Amino acid sequence: MLLLLLFGAGIVAYGQEKTVSGRVVSEDDGTAIMGVNVLVKGTTRGTITGEEGEYTMAGVGPEDILVFRYLGYEPLEIRVGGRSTVNVSLSPSTQALDEVVVTALGISREKKSLGYATQEVGGENFTMTNEQNVVGSLAGRVAGVQVTGASGASMGGTQKIKIRGVNSLGGEDEPLIVVDGTPISNANFSNSAAADYGNLSQDINPADIESVNVLKGPAASALYGIRGQYGVIMITTKKGKKGQKDVRVELNSSFAIEKTGNFMPLQNIYGGGSNQAWKTLPNGQKYVDMNVDESWGPKMDGTPVRQVFSFYPQDEEYGQLTPFVPHPDNIKDFYETGFNFNNSVTITGGNENTTYRLSFNDTRIEGVEPNTYLKRNNLGLSASLDITDKLKVSTNINYARNDGRRPRQGSEFGTGYFVQWFQRNVDMKRMKDYRYDDGTFLHWNLRQPDAGTGEITDFDPLYWDNPYFDAYENTNNDRRDRFFGDVKLSYKVLPELEISGAIRSDMFTQNIETRTAFGGNNLPAYTIGKYQNTEMNYELIAQYNNRWDDFSLNGTLGGNVYYRRYSYLYQQTVGGLSAPGYYNIEASVDRPVNESYLLRKQIRSMFGMVSLGYKDTYYIEASIRNDNSSALPKDNNSYWYPSVSGSFVFGELLDWQPLSFGKLRLSYAKAGSDLNPYQIGKVFDVGTVYGEANTLNVPNELNNPNIKPSFAHSYEAGLDLRFFNNRLGLDFTYYQQKNKDQIIKLDISGASGYTSTVINAGLIENKGFEVALNARPVQTENFTWETNFNINRNRSEVVELAPGIDVYNYGSTTYSGVTSYLNSYEGKPYGSLVGQAYQRDPDTGKVLLGEDNMPLYTDATHDFGTVLPDFTGGFQNNFRIGRFSIAAMIDFQGGGQFFSRSKMLAAKTGQDPVTAAMNDRGNNVRDPVEDGGGVKVTGISAQTGEEVSTYVDAKSYYRNTLGTRVYEEWLYDASYIKLREVRLGYSFSDKLLEKLPFKSVNISLIARNPAMIWQEAPKGLDPSEISAGSEAVSWYESGQLISVRSYGINLNVTF
Amino acid sequence: MKTIQYITAVLCSLVFVGCSDFSDSINTDPNKPGVASGTQLIANAALFLPDLSSSPRGEFMAQYLAETQYVGASLYPQESTSFYYWYEEPLMNLQAAIESDDLDASEGPIANQLAMARILKAYFFWNVTDRWGDVPYSKALQGADNFTAAYDTQESIYNDLFNELKEAVEMIEPEKVDNDIIYGGDMSQWQKLANTIRLLMALRLSEVAPARAMEEFKAAHADGVFASNGDNLVFHHLADANNQNYWYNEVVNRNREWWALTETLVAEMKPADDPRLPVYGDPARASGEYTGLKFGEEEDISTEKYSLMGPAIYAQDASIYLVTYAQVLFALAEAAERGWISGDIEALYNQAIEASIAQWTGSTQGVGEFLAKPGIAFEPANALKMIATQRWVHLYMFGYEAWAEWRRTGYPDNLVEPNGVAVPGRLSYPDNEAFNNTENYEEAVQRQFGGDDSIHEKVWWDVD
Repeated sequence: MLLLLLFGAGIVAYGQEKTVSGRVVSEDDGTAIMGVNVLVKGTTRGTITGEEGEYTMAGVGPEDILVFRYLGYEPLEIRVGGRSTVNVSLSPSTQALDEVVVTALGISREKKSLGYATQEVGGENFTMTNEQNVVGSLAGRVAGVQVTGASGASMGGTQKIKIRGVNSLGGEDEPLIVVDGTPISNANFSNSAAADYGNLSQDINPADIESVNVLKGPAASALYGIRGQYGVIMITTKKGKKGQKDVRVELNSSFAIEKTGNFMPLQNIYGGGSNQAWKTLPNGQKYVDMNVDESWGPKMDGTPVRQVFSFYPQDEEYGQLTPFVPHPDNIKDFYETGFNFNNSVTITGGNENTTYRLSFNDTRIEGVEPNTYLKRNNLGLSASLDITDKLKVSTNINYARNDGRRPRQGSEFGTGYFVQWFQRNVDMKRMKDYRYDDGTFLHWNLRQPDAGTGEITDFDPLYWDNPYFDAYENTNNDRRDRFFGDVKLSYKVLPELEISGAIRSDMFTQNIETRTAFGGNNLPAYTIGKYQNTEMNYELIAQYNNRWDDFSLNGTLGGNVYYRRYSYLYQQTVGGLSAPGYYNIEASVDRPVNESYLLRKQIRSMFGMVSLGYKDTYYIEASIRNDNSSALPKDNNSYWYPSVSGSFVFGELLDWQPLSFGKLRLSYAKAGSDLNPYQIGKVFDVGTVYGEANTLNVPNELNNPNIKPSFAHSYEAGLDLRFFNNRLGLDFTYYQQKNKDQIIKLDISGASGYTSTVINAGLIENKGFEVALNARPVQTENFTWETNFNINRNRSEVVELAPGIDVYNYGSTTYSGVTSYLNSYEGKPYGSLVGQAYQRDPDTGKVLLGEDNMPLYTDATHDFGTVLPDFTGGFQNNFRIGRFSIAAMIDFQGGGQFFSRSKMLAAKTGQDPVTAAMNDRGNNVRDPVEDGGGVKVTGISAQTGEEVSTYVDAKSYYRNTLGTRVYEEWLYDASYIKLREVRLGYSFSDKLLEKLPFKSVNISLIARNPAMIWQEAPKGLDPSEISAGSEAVSWYESGQLISVRSYGINLNVTF
Repeated sequence: MKTIQYITAVLCSLVFVGCSDFSDSINTDPNKPGVASGTQLIANAALFLPDLSSSPRGEFMAQYLAETQYVGASLYPQESTSFYYWYEEPLMNLQAAIESDDLDASEGPIANQLAMARILKAYFFWNVTDRWGDVPYSKALQGADNFTAAYDTQESIYNDLFNELKEAVEMIEPEKVDNDIIYGGDMSQWQKLANTIRLLMALRLSEVAPARAMEEFKAAHADGVFASNGDNLVFHHLADANNQNYWYNEVVNRNREWWALTETLVAEMKPADDPRLPVYGDPARASGEYTGLKFGEEEDISTEKYSLMGPAIYAQDASIYLVTYAQVLFALAEAAERGWISGDIEALYNQAIEASIAQWTGSTQGVGEFLAKPGIAFEPANALKMIATQRWVHLYMFGYEAWAEWRRTGYPDNLVEPNGVAVPGRLSYPDNEAFNNTENYEEAVQRQFGGDDSIHEKVWWDVD
């Protein structure tokens, strides 16, 4: 592969030292390479090529050998032999050993010199099927990275990322996201329920991404110090190329339809009501019990009945009897076919001293839930200019705008209630025209008819709105404008030394507005919030690179000032609105909520790194960073973060033919994480104003004046092996991360007067290994097959908590007075699900039954074990057959568990098929027990100790016992294998294009989330989509949005 | 200028390790006040008074209300109830006022501010211990100094509360205090309230420690208790969503017609045509008659067939009665019956009912007639039963207090046992005490109940 081309004739003049000059170009496309190291072998004499790839070196003897080195290219040695002009052409390295990766602080490094694991994902993966959220595209692609997403119905909903398990007791261990060196906010304005506004890193245009490098924890991210504890996602965007003579224009257009899938199976035998007896009006007509939002009612056997619409005098079927029949697809009928239309244009170019790239993207999504949409625009500009030989200025500017109207999830909102509280007989098509001509709204859940007249006069819904009313009248609108980018000035003081200064900024304004209309179940209301965030980074860095013969040196020294200013204004009406349709804070009936908030924070840092290489085989690297955070106590706000790593490239020493590359790496690092401001001083909360009296109260969270940053110590060892000319690669990493002195909000006994306190406590240890396999089993001219497989196994242990505290409560959820918890216990893995379990006979393990033969349950203190998976991973295959390409991405998870409130309530409200199943006596479980019905229960009587096998009333069993109190019944294993993305593409041949003004044309069929190949949890739940909004740890599901499968076509054209 | 400042900061980062001096203002929370006045804290604690009463569970304990839909909570399920709220909210505010170094005399005498805080604190704690039994008391409310407070015995809590109330009364000066949303700063009212609480607390010990009970009762009585309904501890909700009645939100805003008057209550009031019944509830919509729903009924439930809560009860600006003159009169009647004090038992009984009717209906018209009705007219042979049953009728909607009196006296003696489950004897401790305060929790459960934190165990003063 190594190719050497010599141009020009040398003049033979032996024994004479002379000046040699020449030009270095890339073998690829003949463009000049600037910055190539040119050395006289065995000396320290050398130079660096200029802008045109030119160099001049004096005092070169004819016997001297010149060494040309440049990152990403094969090194080249040439004997001068008396010539005065030595032009060379370097060939790009195909060998793994010369891969260049972007490491912390944007420093490009040879991958082989790194003593820690990083994993790079190419830009094409982020546009494979037009996933809009960068984090979502990482699912399954990086060993050790777990992504938990939201359903596509959320349109840009939260995608959560965890690197190497949970490393923080509070779960807030999101990695830092850095775009072209600029840290950007990945904040989230969602709650665990209602609209999911998503994580803010989705403002990155996926089409702009050149590559993403994942720094998995402190070893790689120690240079980020107090922000590096949980790893870093380094995103590099595409740039223009120097010397590119022509302007390149790329158009990309895709259209996809979005379909719902994975509906929870429900019974279709019994309709709304609380028992099977018919309710009757004074005139004897049977009517559907519309004040009951459950399906324990009469059989849907076609009996003529008064259904809810027959009570509306405006309805054409007013007063009429209609058959009481099931509507098996009533939930499905509510959803629409959504679409996703995406268009982008990119212009790339450059000349001798400039590069530029301009991109624009327009995305329009209409959701599967009625009246939901997201519009997004991205505008990106990156440009560079060489002002002089030594002085260069460059910039990246990104603008993103989001305008959304999103559906709401959870047990109290929107479509989340369908499987939880509903009547199986409701005809959704009948609900669609939710407003009569006179303005009255049609609802399905009303009070009982008047016992005297048999009429309904109050049409305010009881507990639930008509879902169409919710969709069209109670809307959430959000809008965000965002800028992020940098301006950088760099100056080459010496060929080996560059000093650069950059100003980096990330700023956004997020607006969120919610409306609650007149005529629904809730008090009319309006809320509006404006949230503004600005993060500035001022950075000064000196970088030094040099080689002396066998030694190479890479050094960085720098300083950084980080400043964040965040403010918001939030207002909410109280006590209703003064007029229908007037959504304004002025319409508040009572004193509205008015909140204004300001947060300021500064971190001042300095850092240094040095890496030393010997014979391109042995590398050692050390770094240190000092961070001073304004959020920490004044006297104790300065901390140090060191790291050290080494790598040994042993492959070549072995000289074993099948092994093309072998490297061993080892590292240790310490990184940290601090806290939000204002958690150290004593403050009060403002209480309700009563008449003239102002009140203040002691906050429930106790601040701590002695807080310090948390520290993670990470140890890592890895082996990187490539075989058969890099056709097969194996990367193995073992790691251990000890997260100490975490800043946690510790729940304490309320008897102390406080709910929680901020303390430094705890030690979570994560140990695990990662294996990444990549192979090109077939590589011919017309057929290639590339495959990547990765898997990570992580074990976490909460080694210690605070003194005297052996349980840490992450969160809890209460329904009907019954609570379940996510706790962490000292000595156990992180994140135990805790709740009410069956009481069991200690000897046989059988369920204990009470006097009424109902299962007995424990207090809500039973530990069901961790919610975290045993392993996660992904499997990607790319095929190229002639001009066709096929790519398929699978991700999987083994183990982990979650609690499903949807499933629990589906049983409680008589919708789940088990509540209307046949028992082993051949009768429906809802039939009276004395007539052969009832649910069969077996167990041991707590009273007598005798075995019991008997039948109990289905409603008492499912509704009042299991569906309310026995959480054990509703826990599910979260294992799954999911086909996430598929793309089938065709590239038109050059021949065909000759007559057309196009350089390339590619047309693809794409499918996102087409199938869940296998899951342990029952149908209707998607274990890969239980992000529950902003919940940092996914542990329960409640009213999750319906799964969305997206199928489309993509057209890509370049000019 | 700002740019120069940042350049300086960058250089300073590079040259001098550290630059850890930030301006003071950057980490001072601009969003929250750093100081609170005593009366602001006390007023905030007072906002929690209605929550002592306004709770479906309390109504179920005293069987005032039965569930018309979603029957569950009234079946006395074995579940825990948190007491954290009381400590974290009103009690901690009061503690902060009591411990404050910067109480402001311009808001009224500091001694009076402290006295008000101590009286309210005692009242809240009394409610808490009566519900759960032994609870954290002397080691509670200490913030970072004690995250795991030991449980004090109920007996020692009672002893200390008597003391606190006496000391609070003694320190009171005549001048008014500002920002008092309960008594408008009138300190003589606070004195009477403290003595009345003592009187009622003393009565609570009638079974477990009769001698002590009598002694405290007489002392409190002598110190001066409520003398009219004007003295009552009442929380007046406002016609304002920020200060509205709990039941208004449930019944009106959330459409929850989930509660009907119980058969037991209607059976007690309807035959004698009790003038309070039209206030307590509405006639059933189906029949126009007052009809009670059997407590714990699961099948024959309806919002139409039974009497639901009256509009006055769920009005947005309803008043919540907490410590009342009628209770004092019932207590005096009972004390006279027990021979603790001298007095005309029947007269006290009649005055108590009259005060109750005045309180609930705003009028005493027809009281004489009502008092003559069979079942209402005083029967000396059934004195305790009649006093206790009428007290139960009077305490309507303050279920927790009525439940405590039921536990002490056993009246009314016709409460229902849904599915055979008896009326509980206490609330179960918060689940999370088992996580957050394990040792002390387990010790307390072991000490009182032999290890079973059950709702069917009994608190210290509840002896047969």
